[in-house]
Parts: sequence; structure tokens; C-alpha cells
Amino acid sequence: MATSDVEPGSSQRLDKDTQETLVTVARHAVLLGWSVVVLFPLYWLASMSLKPPGQANSLPPDWVFLPTVYNYIQLAQNGEFVAAFANSVVMVGASVVLVLLIGVPAAYVLSRYDIPMERDVLVWILSSRMLPPIAVVIPFFVIFQQLNLFDTRIGMVLMYVSINLSLVVWVMKAFFDGIPETLEEAARVDGATQFQGFMKVVLPAAKPGIFSVAIISFIFAWIELLFGLVLTSFNAVPVTLFVYSFIGSRSIEWSMLAAASTAMIVPVVVFLIAVNKYLAAGLSFGVVIKE
Amino acid sequence: MADITLDDVTKRFGEGGNAVVAVDDVSLDIGDGEFVVFVGPSGSGKSTLMRMVAGLETQSEGDVYIGDTVVNQLGPRARDIAMVFQNYALYPNMTVEENMSFGLKMSTELSKAEIEEQVTSAAEMMGIGDLLDNKPGELSGGQQQRVALGRAIVRDPNVFLMDEPLSNLDAKLRTTMRTEINRLQNDLDVTTLYVTHDQTEAMTMGDRLVVLDHGELQQVGTPLECFYRPANRFVAGFIGSPSMNFFEGPVEDGTLRADGFDFDLTERMQSSSEECDEVVLGIRPEDITLHERANVDYEFEAVVDVVEPMGSISYVYLRPRRQEGDQTFVVEADGKQPITEGEHINVKIPEEDVHLFDAISGETIHQRTLDSEAEVTVSEQT
Repeated sequence: MATSDVEPGSSQRLDKDTQETLVTVARHAVLLGWSVVVLFPLYWLASMSLKPPGQANSLPPDWVFLPTVYNYIQLAQNGEFVAAFANSVVMVGASVVLVLLIGVPAAYVLSRYDIPMERDVLVWILSSRMLPPIAVVIPFFVIFQQLNLFDTRIGMVLMYVSINLSLVVWVMKAFFDGIPETLEEAARVDGATQFQGFMKVVLPAAKPGIFSVAIISFIFAWIELLFGLVLTSFNAVPVTLFVYSFIGSRSIEWSMLAAASTAMIVPVVVFLIAVNKYLAAGLSFGVVIKE
Repeated sequence: MADITLDDVTKRFGEGGNAVVAVDDVSLDIGDGEFVVFVGPSGSGKSTLMRMVAGLETQSEGDVYIGDTVVNQLGPRARDIAMVFQNYALYPNMTVEENMSFGLKMSTELSKAEIEEQVTSAAEMMGIGDLLDNKPGELSGGQQQRVALGRAIVRDPNVFLMDEPLSNLDAKLRTTMRTEINRLQNDLDVTTLYVTHDQTEAMTMGDRLVVLDHGELQQVGTPLECFYRPANRFVAGFIGSPSMNFFEGPVEDGTLRADGFDFDLTERMQSSSEECDEVVLGIRPEDITLHERANVDYEFEAVVDVVEPMGSISYVYLRPRRQEGDQTFVVEADGKQPITEGEHINVKIPEEDVHLFDAISGETIHQRTLDSEAEVTVSEQT
């Protein structure tokens, strides 16, 4: 810490520079402490995944160990895991695209046009999420069987869409509400059609919001377990279900569980890094454009 | 360039019994290259009227012509207009250059090089040549305003529409931009419609004013006409700052009995007010004179309520000493004249400066006299 020359008489008080340094140090200490709290579980998971089976759950924990990628090789060679992982990437990815294709235009219409009973329509959309999933999973199962959607990827995509649609519509409506309508009017006066105005002016302005709901929808679908458990059996098994299978009735395969969980984090992190620059603005929903 | 004609245009929002009439049966001819200001308080329908010319609203009844074409069925993009919005409506994700070239890309077949050339020359005209690569969010309010204007002029449209373009600027910048828009419009000579609620802006900018209230046309005329020859009490009160003073009362034997004083009507005033039971006397603050001693006709005594010194002039708020209500009127006095609050002072209302209005309909029944020179100035502008 830098202490500058302190004149006699003022020695009781810290001069301004020292004070600022102290505040900075304190702030960093707090942040560092919090980071440890947040990151320790991740470290624990990763380190567990790098331990040989049997050593993963030993008590007291082996802080020093020879890391091995044995668990990951096991996973990569496991056809079921690869299939489930691929399933999830495809199904969740498709569901995010679909939910945006449906939800964003719906939100735009709700924001810009005089819809009869608009409030009721919005609440109706939200009501799809009002019951706890466990209460609707059996009806879902029956419907899926009737419609031949049981254990199909299309069925799972539709299910993920149903989970995220209300989120997309509500958040994007607020976001569009915050984009002044004069932008589209200016575009129309400038010679654009209403559709061009939407595509070239409104959508780019709404990008932060769209990426935000995309990443949140992705995560919600990616970590979904309950519906996957009931609505699939073999063909459309999501990766969460596969990870869950390591928890057996008699034992838990800790190291494999840790390796599969770590692998599950990767796509989310990749997605987050890819859209990171849009998120800061997007997460302050609907208050982006100030002209 | 083009002239604009509005033919019995009405706009209703909502349907049936709940319908709100925003613009009520307005007819108007605007000449080629003319600068016309729509002025009125909020809710007067001035913006709606402009938006119907733009094609952003569809009129419920009537026709809108731009040039010889009926544009009722045409969308904004087919009307060859450019518009400046109150919040500028710059496209936030585009640079200044992209903002300005967007319209040319959308509505013309120009090559990239031609577009760039036009954008550069318009940007230089507006003094924003070095901002072309910035995004709107990085610009100050004044710069954004210039970009918005630049985006409009680069299109070289038939008609400029400006919807309160200066109201988001601070007072000093507003004055500068006012002059600049005036100069721009003179240079380009494009028919311009300008909406404002600010009567100073209206007076200083327009070739003609269209004064609106509650969706109804109150008066169309040059700024001086609206000022010196108001069609009714609303225009008289709206144009001019501070507002014209009004004194209401019944006429008995050729005398107006206002609250706190009597005013003897001239013979001409008497004959024009014959059919009115009650009239309103209107007189502008700068026409009333204040005197220390009572020695002229039409004088009454008043008590000084508040004095607002402005420097060269002072606004003196007074109430007649014998008044029963508590309404004040304002007089523009010489700034060097010592007037203190609570002081009693004699007020003269010169009969030649008096307007009379029908108290019920608000119509003007008597205009002030202007000397022949002033008469020429007012009518020449027409």
C-alpha cells in the first residue's frame, strides 16, 4: 500500500490517496471472497470429474491428486451419452429458434397494435406457466401419447417452446414498448414498408432483448429434467436425463456424474460468450433506447 | 416541390359514442415553397393534422392532396415527404451516415457513390460532416437534431414535415436552430409544415400560421395578421406573450361594465356590439399605459400585485382597486419606471388599441385601429 508523505498535524487523518487505495483494496477483498463462494462448487465439480472413480468422493477430500481424463474418455465412448448430448443440442437449439420466431413477432404485435383484451391475452399467455410442472406433466404425457409425440424430438421441442413462450412474449413486449414508435414511422416516411421498418430498424434495436431471452430460454430448456423424464424413453432422451441416470438406487457414480455435468456447462458458456456484448444492455429489460 | 390541399379533413379516434374528434372539418391550401406553422395548445389536433399529410394517420373524412394527386390511399413511402420528429427518431443501431442514407437506399435507385455524395453534401450543409461515423447515442441533443434535419434534407423531398423539432433542446440552442431552420427553408424553398405549441416559434418562423384549438381551425393568416387581426378570443389570447388581457362584462348604455371599472365604448364599438349582451374587451399588455396622476379619460385606479423586471421592460401585474374578483391583468412597463408592489396606480386603456369579442361565441366584433402604415405592413404580408 502506498503511503505518501504525511505532514505533521494531519497524521491522524489519512490523506485522500490513501483513503481511495484502502477503499479499492477493501472492494477487491469483498469481491474476491464472493468469487470464492461462487466458484468453489464449480471447482469442486471440475476437480471431482478429474479424479479416478473411487477417489472422487473420498473423505477427507484429496486436495492433491493426479488428474485424469479417464471419466471424459468413458463419456465420449459412451454412445448413449453422445446421443443424449446431441439430442439436447438439437432439440434445445431448435426450440430457441422456434420460440423466438413465434414469441418476438407476437410481442411486437401486442406492443404496437390495439389488440382487443390485450391485458387478458397477456395473462392468458403467462397462465401457461402458473401451474407447477409436476401438476401438468401427466396431462402432457397423455396428450403426447394421443398425438404420437411421445419420445420424439419434435415433441420435446414443442414442450420446450411451451416452457419459454410466455417469458419471450412478456420480456420482448416490454422491450418493444421501450422502443419509440416514431422509429418505424421515420422508416416508413423514409420509404420503407412496414415490414422493412420492422426488419431493418426495430429488430436491430431490439437485439439486446432478443439475445437475452434467447440465452435464458436456452438455459431453461437445457436444464429441464422433469418433462424429459416423463415424455421420453429412448429416442429423444435429453442430456439431463442421462446425467440423472448416474444416480442409481444403490450408488452414485460421482466422478462420471461430475464429468457429465461439467460437459453440460460447456454449451451454455459458449453461448454466453458469443452473445456477451449484447447482454449488458438486454438485461435491463426495455429501457435501452434513449434518444 | 408541391402545394398541399386539405379538403374537409376530419379525424376521429375510436368509434360510435366514444369517438374523439381530433381534427374537425379542416380545409386548407398551402402554396408551393410556403412555410406554414400549425400552432395550438396540446390536444388541438395540430400533430394529427400533420400526420395525416404524412400518411401516418388516415383521415376519417375528406381528401388530402399533395400536388395534384389525391394521396388518401397512399402510404407515407409513396408521398415523397421527409419528416423530423420531436424525439428525432434516429435509428440507434446505424451510424449517422447510415441514418442519412437509409431513405435514399429505400426510395431511390441511386448508386452507392451518388448516395454517398448526397449524404456528404447534406452533412456539410448541416455542419455534421465529421460525425458521419458516430452512432446517434454518442451525439449531443443539438447534434442529433442536426442529423435528423440532415436526414430530411438529403432526400430532397416534395414536402418537409416537422413535428415540434425544437422542443427537446435547451432555450439557447432552440433560438439558434430556429434561425437555422428558417435559413434552410429559404435556401431549399421546399414546402414546409411545422408543428409547435410555442407561439414565439410560430411567430418567428412561419410565412403563415394555422391556429388550431380542439381540432378546429381558428385562424389562418400571417403572423402579424393573427397578432393584430385575431379572428376570435382564442387566437388573440394564444398569439402574443404575455397573453392579451381580457375583461368581460355587460354593455349598458354604451358602457362596458367590467369587474372594477367602466369602459365607454366608441360609437363604432357600440354599433358592432349591438347584438351582444355581454362582450369581452381585449387589450395587449404593451398597449396599456400607467400613470401616476389621474388626468385622462378611461382611467381607473389599480393596485400593483407583482412586478416582474425583465431588464428593458417590466411586467406589472395589477388588479382594479374596486374589483370584486381576484383576477389580475398584466401591463408592459418601462423597465426603468420605479413601480413597487402594493402601490396604487392609474391605468389608461387606449380606445384605439381595444379589441372586442362576443362573450358567448368568442368571435371578434371589433378590431383595434392601426395607423395606415401599420395597416399596409399587416396586409402586405398576406
